Parts: sequence; structure tokens; C-alpha cells
Amino acid sequence: MSTVLTEQNVYAAQFASRRERLPGNHLAWVERLRQKAMDDFVALGFPTTKLENWKYTNVAPIRRITFEPAADRRLVSIPEFACHERPRLVFVNGWFVPALSSLDARSDFPLLTMREALRDPERACVIEKHLGRYTNTSDHAFAAWNTAFFSDGAYIEVPRGFICDEPIQLVFIAAGNSEPWACYPRNLIVAGEGSELTIVESFIGSNEAVYLTNTVTEIAAGPGAVIDYYKIERESSQSFHVGVTNARLDHDASLTSHSISFRGSLVRNDLNVSLDGEGSRCTLNGLFVVDGRRLVDNHTRIDHLRSHASSRELYKGVLAGNAEGVFNGAIVVHQNAQKTDAVQHSKNLLLSREAQINTKPQLEIRNNDVRCFHGATIGQIDADAVFYLKSRGIAEDEAKRILVRGFAGEIIDAIRLSTVRDPLERQLEVWFQDVLEAS
Amino acid sequence: MLRIRNLSASVDGKPILRGLDLEVHAGEVHAIMGPNGSGKSTFAQVLAGRDIYRVVADELSFEGKGLLQIAPEIRAREGIFLAFQYPVEIPGVSNLYFLRAAVNAVRAHRGLPELDAVDFLSSAREQARSLGIDDVMLKRSLNEGFSGGEKKRNEILQMKLLEPRLAILDESDSGLDIDALRIVADGINAMRSPERAIIVVTHYQRLLNYVVPDYVHVLVGGRIVRSGGKDLAAELEEKGYGWLEGQAIA
Repeated sequence: MSTVLTEQNVYAAQFASRRERLPGNHLAWVERLRQKAMDDFVALGFPTTKLENWKYTNVAPIRRITFEPAADRRLVSIPEFACHERPRLVFVNGWFVPALSSLDARSDFPLLTMREALRDPERACVIEKHLGRYTNTSDHAFAAWNTAFFSDGAYIEVPRGFICDEPIQLVFIAAGNSEPWACYPRNLIVAGEGSELTIVESFIGSNEAVYLTNTVTEIAAGPGAVIDYYKIERESSQSFHVGVTNARLDHDASLTSHSISFRGSLVRNDLNVSLDGEGSRCTLNGLFVVDGRRLVDNHTRIDHLRSHASSRELYKGVLAGNAEGVFNGAIVVHQNAQKTDAVQHSKNLLLSREAQINTKPQLEIRNNDVRCFHGATIGQIDADAVFYLKSRGIAEDEAKRILVRGFAGEIIDAIRLSTVRDPLERQLEVWFQDVLEAS
Repeated sequence: MLRIRNLSASVDGKPILRGLDLEVHAGEVHAIMGPNGSGKSTFAQVLAGRDIYRVVADELSFEGKGLLQIAPEIRAREGIFLAFQYPVEIPGVSNLYFLRAAVNAVRAHRGLPELDAVDFLSSAREQARSLGIDDVMLKRSLNEGFSGGEKKRNEILQMKLLEPRLAILDESDSGLDIDALRIVADGINAMRSPERAIIVVTHYQRLLNYVVPDYVHVLVGGRIVRSGGKDLAAELEEKGYGWLEGQAIA
């Protein structure tokens, strides 16, 4: 081994000194999982733009900073935090805060933190079957880093046939005034056969602090399970967010994902769905609004592994100022996936000349009995539409706001949960107001 | 109400209107007729304030105020309305939301209180019903997937809700079947009043059988080459525009 102090070695040293205190340290398999992940991270190092998957996203700003693992789990002051819905699990800097959380005591529905669940031998056995099984640490440095360091998160195991009608809120708050710190949430959702559930992951940061959220969520959907998954990212403006969501769907299972990115100086979302059962289906909707010098990168991959599976994907980007956006969406139709039905769209609206979007829909088909479509569009605000609205007395800024709302509407209006949709509507308005004021 | 003297407009250096004169008073209905490419739509768009045209005029005034420096939204709030030949489709914005935003923008300018969603809905519904516009169409995205006739009726609905002082209707009859034409014509006729002026821009005489104008002007080559009463429309229907086209050069 070289003794050169590389960035990843800093974290290897952190790992060595903290591993004893990390959740699940009493379990040999967790130890091995973490160690293997740490080794992978050290071997991989930080991705560079020479890698195809990181071509447009330079993580040097993350690499240059040494992030201390977040120890502070006290809530300093979070004025923006106003989640009153339940059930909810609230984590501050990746650590569970019972005082902010609200758990419905339902005997048939274990909603636990990862740390707690790993302490329960029966649950630990279930977790062992799933944790890390949908996440390849040898080809994704951040996922490896998270797997080595994960602090806590939600463990949701929905029993067979159970219909959970209350959305489960998972709230991840970053708070602190210290040196740059990192949060490593890790969630696992195991939905039993024929179960239904809605999960809302929210990432919130309220001040101008510099921190990294490195999060991984794994979802295992049993046969016929129906999952609505929301990821709402509203980190602080100086923060970094790298998140991976990996889902595997059994036959006839269904996943609907809404990924919304609002803030953060550098945001990277990976969403990988394995349609690993006949008749499984997924709908992936995404909206990212980016301004200033920020960057949001959405990478999605859908693997059609079995026949009669279908996927629908629509990602929309609104980019202002000097913002950069990336959409890379791969659909891979494997040899056994006859009668695959896949449609993918990437639509982007540029509000300034300097804003940029790199969009790359990719279709890889190893089978000829399929119906696949993909497309990408990049446009500006339509001058004819602005004039039309102005000719009705609507002011120019208001006309533009209406058109941006209209563009985002396809994603926003598809959100069933009003507790997600309504705040989003307001945040989009505030965001656009800021964009107007900055221009 | 509207005074135009020596109005010229060009786009990308290409002249379209070349010295147009027109005077319109409150209570009058004027028809602007002319062959394709004569500048009719440009004229309508210039009045509404479309900024792609370079416009010069000795006078272009509305109720005594010069219009040349006035933005389209201000013109609209002051009472100028253009029913578009090709209304723009705006996905994701509901017709109702748009109508209310427009009505409230105009109301604010006139010192009237904003209408809330409930009050607005009841007044919009009533006007919509007379135009055969149902709730489904009010809730759909603005003009998106509307048929030609639905778009035209929706323009008339906007006119009725905004209650302009000067309404300019650009080819509001094109593409309509008999029933839709009658609905649109009734909508226009219902707007006739001593305080309001209407300019109907059309290629054909058809609409003018229902909306009988006080004056008819023939636009050829960017100029009004002939003006007359309603009988002129019938004459054009019979003879076509050919006999007037020579006069454009004169």
C-alpha cells in the first residue's frame, strides 16, 4: 500500500477510528460489508470526469474538502422545518432524533431505525438478506463510502398484504455551524407481497453551512407490491448532495418515483430500477430547478430483465443563471425481456443563455420484441406564448412565471400527495422570484 | 377612440404595412378585409403591441394616448383586446387559471378588487355556457388539444370576460362550421355597445353576414385601398380582390 495521503485515505483513517461505534458493529456480516465497501472506496477513489458516468459532473469541490463525520445530533434551529405529518422519522445529520419523530404504534407495522433494527436478531436476519444487495460498491465510490460509514436511517418492512395508507415521512435535516461535515443516511425498504406504501424522503438544510449528504436507499418490492417513492431535495445552498436509490421489483410490482431537486451547490441523484419480475412496472418522474452556479445531475438506469415489464420516465429541468444540469437515463432491455414497453423523455427549459443542460437518453436493446421510445428536448420560453399572455394584461414576469409553472406542471400535477405538491408549488414560485431578482 | 395616420410596419427589414390610415370611434364596427398576405394579421398584432415588428407612424393613438411606447400588457389593461387567429397552446396552465390571472390583471389596473377563485368561477361559467364551453374545457390546459372551433370560442370567452373598449378579432371565423360560426358571431354581437369599438379582420364576407359592420376597409399591399359601407363586403365577395389589387401600387 502506498502511504501517500490521498483524499480517500483520509476517510479510511476516519473509518478505522469510528467503525466500533457504527450501527451493527456487533454483527460480523455488517462489519464485513462495511470493510469491503471501505476497501472499494479506497480502490476507486473519487470519480473523475474521465468516467462516462461522471463526465459532466466534476466532484473536485467535494474531494477538496475534508468532511468530518457528523457527530452533532442536536437540533440547533430549523425554522424551515415544519413537518407535522406522521408517521415520521426525523434524522439530524444522519442520526435519529426521537423528540422530532412521531411513530404510530402499530403492532403489525414495524417502522424502525436501521440502528434499532440491527439490534433485533430476527430483523437483522431479514436485513442481511437485503442490505447492500441492490447496491454495487465496487463501481460507485459514493455508494461504497456510504456503505462503509452509514450512521442510521429508516428500516421499513411492510408485511405481506399490508396496505399502509399514511405516507411515511423520512426527514433528513442537516444542521450545524462547525467545520464541513458529512451525513450518511441509509434506508432500507422491504415491501412484502401485495403490500402498498408511500415513502417521502426529504432532505433539508437551512443555513449556508458546507456539508455533504451521502445517502443510499434500497427498495425491495415483493410480488405485486405497490410503492410510491418521493425524494425531495432542499439542501442548503452551499451543500453537496450525492444520493443513490436502488430498487428491485419482483413480478407485478410497481414503483412510482418522484425526484425533486431544489437546492444544493452540487447535487447528484442516481436512481436504478431493476424490473426483475414479469409484469413489473415503474414510473420515474423528475423535476430539477437550478440557478446560480449550481449543478444538478440526474442519472437513472432501468434494467428490463423480465418479460412484459413496462417503464415510463419523464425528467424535466428548469435552468437559470449559470446553472448546469445533467440528465443521463439508460434503459437496458435484456435478452429475456420480451414485450418490454419503455418510454423515456427528458425535457428541459433554459431561462438564460448561460445555463446549460447535458441530456443523454440511452437505449440499449438486446431483444427485438419490444416497444421503446425515448427523446430529449431543450427549449427556451416561447416568445409567442409570452406575447399571448401579455396581450391579456398579464405582466411579463408573471407571464414567464406562469409558463415555468406550466412546464413543471406535468411533474407537479402528477404528485398525488397534496402535502408534497402544495409546498412544492410554493417553493417553485419562491425560486422563480429569486431567479427574476437575480437577473 | 383609435386614430391611425401613416402607419408602417416591417419585420426583418421587409415592409408589410405601408402608410395605413384609419379612424375608429366608440360604438362602431369596422371590418378589415383583404387577400392573403395583405398585412391584415400584422395590423391586428401591431395594435396589440407585438414587438417583432418595427413600427413607425405619424399617429397611433388610443383614446388620445400614443400607443407606440406602450407595452402589450398595458394596452390590454387599458382596454385593447386581440382575439388571435392562432391562439397559443400552453400546456400545464389551466384555462381557468389563465382566465382569472388575466381578468385580475385588468381589474387591478382599473382599481377593482381581485376576484377569488369561487367568484370568478361562477362568472366564467356563465359566460362560458353561452359559448358552449363546458367545465371540462375550462379546466383543461389552455388551448392544448383544443379543436380550431374550441380555440376560437375560447378567444371570444376571454373577450367577454375582459370587457375591452376596443376588440380586434383576427380571422375569428376561419375554420368554423356553421354552428360554431353562429356562436362566435352571437358572442361578438353581444359585445356591441355605444362605448365599445370592434374591428373584425377577415378574409371572407361570411362572418359579416352575422356581424354586420358599419364600415368595410380593403387592405391590399399594406394599405387601405378602399373604404365603404357594408355593401362593399358583398361586392368583394362577388368580384374577389383582383380588381382592387392594381390600386395598391398607386
